[in-house]
Amino acid sequence: MNASESPIRHEELSAGRALGDLSHEEARELFLLENDLAASHDFALDLIVGGLSAHFLKDVLETPPAAVISRLHQYATVSEGALASRPLAREKIITFPSFLRSPLLGWAAAAALLIFTVSQFQSTAEPSPIQALSALRQEATGLFERPFQATAAYPKSSGQVTWSDAKQQGYMTLSGLPPNDPAIAQYQLWIVDPKRDEAPIDGGVFNIPAASSPVIVPIVAKLALSHPQAFVITLEQPGGVVKSKQEFVVALAKN
Amino acid sequence: MNACIDRYGALVWTIARRFLKQSPEAEDLVQEVFTEIWKKAASFDPDLAAEATFIGLIARRRSIDFLRRQGRLPAFEELAAAEALPLPNTKNSSLRADPEAMKSSLALLPEDTRRLFQLFFENGYTHPEIAAQTGLPLGTVKTRLRRGIVFLRDQLSRTHSLSS
Repeated sequence: MNASESPIRHEELSAGRALGDLSHEEARELFLLENDLAASHDFALDLIVGGLSAHFLKDVLETPPAAVISRLHQYATVSEGALASRPLAREKIITFPSFLRSPLLGWAAAAALLIFTVSQFQSTAEPSPIQALSALRQEATGLFERPFQATAAYPKSSGQVTWSDAKQQGYMTLSGLPPNDPAIAQYQLWIVDPKRDEAPIDGGVFNIPAASSPVIVPIVAKLALSHPQAFVITLEQPGGVVKSKQEFVVALAKN
Repeated sequence: MNACIDRYGALVWTIARRFLKQSPEAEDLVQEVFTEIWKKAASFDPDLAAEATFIGLIARRRSIDFLRRQGRLPAFEELAAAEALPLPNTKNSSLRADPEAMKSSLALLPEDTRRLFQLFFENGYTHPEIAAQTGLPLGTVKTRLRRGIVFLRDQLSRTHSLSS
C-alpha cells in the first residue's frame, strides 16, 4: 500500500470498526495505520451506525418480555441514589470453574457436582465456599435447606439456601440471576427470624458477575440467628440498605 | 431512567435480538445496555444526535462487546483501550446525526447499498448471510457497507457545514 492509499484504507477500516465487522488481521492493520497516520478513531462513524440502527429498526421494533421490562424498572428505581457515595459492604463470592458453566447446567445439577468440584481446589488455610458448603452438609445436623422461589420478574432464577443454626453458617447456591453492575445496584439477602427480631436481618450484599452461573454466596448474617423462617433476596442500591422496603424481591426461600 | 426504559426498551431489545437471535442471554444484554446508557447519559448532547441515535450507538457497542466476551466475535486486544473511550466530543463534531438528515443522506446512496444496509441493520443478517441472499461476494458486501458508512459521514458533514 502506498502512502496515498493509507488514509483511504484507514477510513474503510474505521468504518469496519464502527460496524463491528473487523477481522483480527484488520484490527491489527487499523492499529498500525492509526499509529502511522497519527490518526484517532472518528466517532462520527459510530454515530452514523447508531443512527442507522434506529432508522432501520423503527418500523420493526419488537416488544420486550414483560419480565425484562419489570426487572429494568426495578434496576432503575434502586439505582436512582447510586451516585450517593456509600461504602460497599463486605462481600465474598465464588463462581464455579468455567468448565461447569453451561446454560444447560441448572443449579441442581451443579450442586450435585459439588463433591467433584471440591477436589479441583487446592487446600488453603481458609476453605473455599464450595468446600465450606460441602463440609457444612456433611457435619451439621438440622440444616435449613430450602429451594428459592423466584418472583415474576426473575423467571429464570433458581437456587437453594443452606443454613445451620448450630454453626451460624450458611450458603446460597444461585443460578440464573441477571448479572448486576455493583455501581448501579446490588443484591442483598434478608433473613426472617421472628424469634430473634421482628424486622428481617441483613444477610449481606452480593453481586452476580457476568456469565457466571451458578454461584455460591456465603451468608453474612449481621446478627446471630435462632430459628430462621425465610431467606429473601432483594435488589437494593449499591452497598445495600440497613432496612429494606422489600420493594423488589428477587427470590424467596421459606420454611 | 424509567421513562428511558419505556421509550427505548423496544429499540434496545430489538438490537439485542438482532445480535443474539433467540438466545435467552438477550435479557442480560438489555440490562447491560441500559446500565451503560445511564452511565453515559451525561455525555449525551441533543445538538449532536437524536436520542435514538445515542441509544442505538450504545446498544450496538455493548452487543458487539457481549459477543466478543463470549468468543463469538474476534477480541481485539489492541483496540481494547479505544473501546473504553468516551462518546464523541460534541464541541469538535463536524456533523449532526439527526433522523431527517440521515434519511436524506441515505436517499443519495445507490439502491443496492441501501439494500445491504437494510439487510444488515433491519434484518440483522451477518455478512455471509447477506452474501448468500444477494449473490454478492463476501468481500464486496463488507466493502460496500463500509464505504456506505464513510459516504454518509461525508454527506452529513457537508449538510452540517452548509446549515451552520
